Amino acid sequence: MGKRQGRERRLTGGVALPLLGVFLLAAGAAWAQGAPGGETEAYRSFPLIGSRLAVWGAAQLHLNFAAFILGVPMFAIIVEFIGWRTQDARYDWLARQFMKLTFVAYSATALLGGLLTFVFITLYPRFFGYLAGIFGPTMWVYAGLFFVETFTLYLYYYGWDWLSGPRKGIHLGLGVLLNIWGTILMFVANAWLTFMMSPSGVDEAGKLTSLWGAIYNPTWMPINVHRLIANITFGGAIAAAYAAFRFLGARTDEERAQYDWMGYVGNFVAVSSLLFLPFAGYWLGREIYAFNQTLGITMMGGFMSWLWVVQAILIGVLFIGSNYYLWLGMERIPGSERYRSYIPYLVMILAAGFIVWATPRSMVATLEEARAMGGTHHPVLGVLGVMSAKNTAVNLMILTTFVSFLLYRRANRVATVSWVRSGMTAQWIIMGVAAAVVTFYGVYGYFVESIVRIGFSVYQVLSVLAAIVCVMAIDIPMFRRARSTGAIRWGQIAPRSQYVLILLAVSFTWLMGLMGFARSGIRQHWHVYGILRDTSPEAVTPALGYAANMITAVTAIFLAFLVLIFWLGGLGERGAKG
Amino acid sequence: MRVPLIVKVGTFALAVMGVYAYYANSIPQIQSTLPEELSLEGGNVTPEQLVKAGEGIFKGKGTCEICHRIGQKGTRAPDLAGIGATAAKRKPGMSAKAYIIESLLDPRAYLVEGYPGIMPKVDRPPIGLNRSELWATVAFLQSMAGTVDVKLDDIPKTAGAVVAAEGAAQGAELKLPGDPKAGQVVFMGKGACIACHKAGAIGASPIGPDLSQIAKIQTPEYIMAKILDPAGMGTMAGYPPNMMPPTLGQTLTAKEYIDLVSFLLTLKGEAAAQAPAASKQ
Repeated sequence: MGKRQGRERRLTGGVALPLLGVFLLAAGAAWAQGAPGGETEAYRSFPLIGSRLAVWGAAQLHLNFAAFILGVPMFAIIVEFIGWRTQDARYDWLARQFMKLTFVAYSATALLGGLLTFVFITLYPRFFGYLAGIFGPTMWVYAGLFFVETFTLYLYYYGWDWLSGPRKGIHLGLGVLLNIWGTILMFVANAWLTFMMSPSGVDEAGKLTSLWGAIYNPTWMPINVHRLIANITFGGAIAAAYAAFRFLGARTDEERAQYDWMGYVGNFVAVSSLLFLPFAGYWLGREIYAFNQTLGITMMGGFMSWLWVVQAILIGVLFIGSNYYLWLGMERIPGSERYRSYIPYLVMILAAGFIVWATPRSMVATLEEARAMGGTHHPVLGVLGVMSAKNTAVNLMILTTFVSFLLYRRANRVATVSWVRSGMTAQWIIMGVAAAVVTFYGVYGYFVESIVRIGFSVYQVLSVLAAIVCVMAIDIPMFRRARSTGAIRWGQIAPRSQYVLILLAVSFTWLMGLMGFARSGIRQHWHVYGILRDTSPEAVTPALGYAANMITAVTAIFLAFLVLIFWLGGLGERGAKG
Repeated sequence: MRVPLIVKVGTFALAVMGVYAYYANSIPQIQSTLPEELSLEGGNVTPEQLVKAGEGIFKGKGTCEICHRIGQKGTRAPDLAGIGATAAKRKPGMSAKAYIIESLLDPRAYLVEGYPGIMPKVDRPPIGLNRSELWATVAFLQSMAGTVDVKLDDIPKTAGAVVAAEGAAQGAELKLPGDPKAGQVVFMGKGACIACHKAGAIGASPIGPDLSQIAKIQTPEYIMAKILDPAGMGTMAGYPPNMMPPTLGQTLTAKEYIDLVSFLLTLKGEAAAQAPAASKQ
């Protein structure tokens, strides 16, 4: 064990600390850029691919890794806590496995963060100088926190055995601290990027009037919450894909059982947090509209409107994939046959929701086509293209996914409590009411203004979330002393289920790139919206096809990096075995 | 032959991403281009040209089409068909022209019933139309069932001031290898600019426009082009046309030309340039 850890220490610690120094240097350079008044060269070009692609690639890669290393510790600590309370060693093993993935990805995150900073400083010196002039003090806070987070991570990971047994509480405390540092780090960085979209704390000429005003700009908190949830989803999905890969390559039943379980937990975490993402997304959307209607309309109804159709395809894949994985998983649970008849109905709801979600509102049509349709909207399907219909569809898809989970949860259990009939009835009523509320606001949304309509989405999501909480509040006591129809046969799941987990991880990563493009692209030719114009030769915001090619390329590089890093991380394990 | 697992999984992942990329490439491709600055000040523009330029702004830089339709009821903003005539009936005592200008510069001053006050001031960032562009946009809107009678002077001189200042700030940061001090010498000597123009504390001639804040109200591109092709760039309203010599491009050396432009880009005086027409009032 000690030999293995020593090797990992040399591998990751040897890289991360010098990078911290590099980062500090970079932050210092950036700070210096902000000082002199406007004599800086505005743009420099990057060979072959150009400055825009260079910064795009570095930013997307860094964010992918950052999301992973921030998301995984959040659920690792929960898993470790469960293991501590239940004294089930499997959970402790799982938490450590998750943290091992974080640990090996940490250096890559730092490296890419340094690279991104250098790309900004060298290629967009005036813009970065301006940002450093506004946010200089927070950049030092960021560097300091990075330092503290690194050492907390080292202590948490290497102290796993040392802080076990009676000292487990201290270890858990370190894990909590690690998450706190990581979350604050993300909040600081979010202030910089949200300022670019919704600047505040500056006058019309862009001069700083309040640093706190610049940090606490209108989209800061919605992005913080959105990213916090999305990171958990992303971390869960990547960890599940890792488990799937290990499952497919496993040589023994024991290994298969372990990684099947790990994949299930990773996917459970990803899907559970995914259910909360639309709420954060609507909040963000509402704040964007409230900050600047033009920005909001550009995002949803302007040149970016087709992006949401692509997003719809991905959301559809995520929901259908997640449900399919659960249904496949039920096949390894004795007693699940009782619920198979429900699945076709769930498929129908998901398919209908997917179709609605993917229906575009306005179509780019020729004059003849537009005349034939009577406008740019399809005469029949056009009504399904608006947000009212889409919100209704996605909320019903969330509810359906929850039903799939409920069926999975009770697949090998038969409730024995005396009030089982009334409990089940209450659950169906609650879900029916939630579906009715969602549908009511979906229809009512057609008759009100967009600013009111976007508020309805909050009621829709809240009713679904309330239903989930209430149904679970009944379900947990109802199945507490349930009769078992047999143990889950971990490891005996169809291999295609593991490809579903990989599909979900790839889709989450691609979707993350797409949403990053949306967030950044709505500013169009502005570095800082309405304050600092992008006057570079590459100020044009590219079309979706171009963006998709770039997102695909970066996602492929990210996944290749991830495989390489996990392979490197596994070398120690092999050495220990061999 | 047994295919390694990494190849199988890698191919699967690439295929998934390929499908997404293929789909994104199959749907309509719309890119957001950089809006071009339009400068018509002093140019000999016919109403037809003005209306055409306005239509381009309406569909492009102005982003009006995102909410407004022509001949079709919008959900976010009123139908603008016939606005040239209906604008005269919106506010009692206000002409169509005045109403349209007010609607562009202060959209919330009057809201058409049933529509929310979501329109931004179009002379402010991020849309940021300049005076020329506002002039053309008003002409285009008037052309829909109305009479195109808008003049540049109808557009308040304060309109687009923030954008002009921002443009000037960015323009001032344009690095030219010129020497402003040497440019001032050219301005007062070989260029003979001082014969007609005032530039801050230098000169006092009222023959040509006051250039004391030229860097604040014009782009570097305009200033550079105006020196080389004065007639082609038009003459400011209220001043006699064709007075500026068209030969500066031949008589000045490259260094003198760059020095002169560098000097002009330093002129960001606070005192507003007074057009003769305005000073007569």
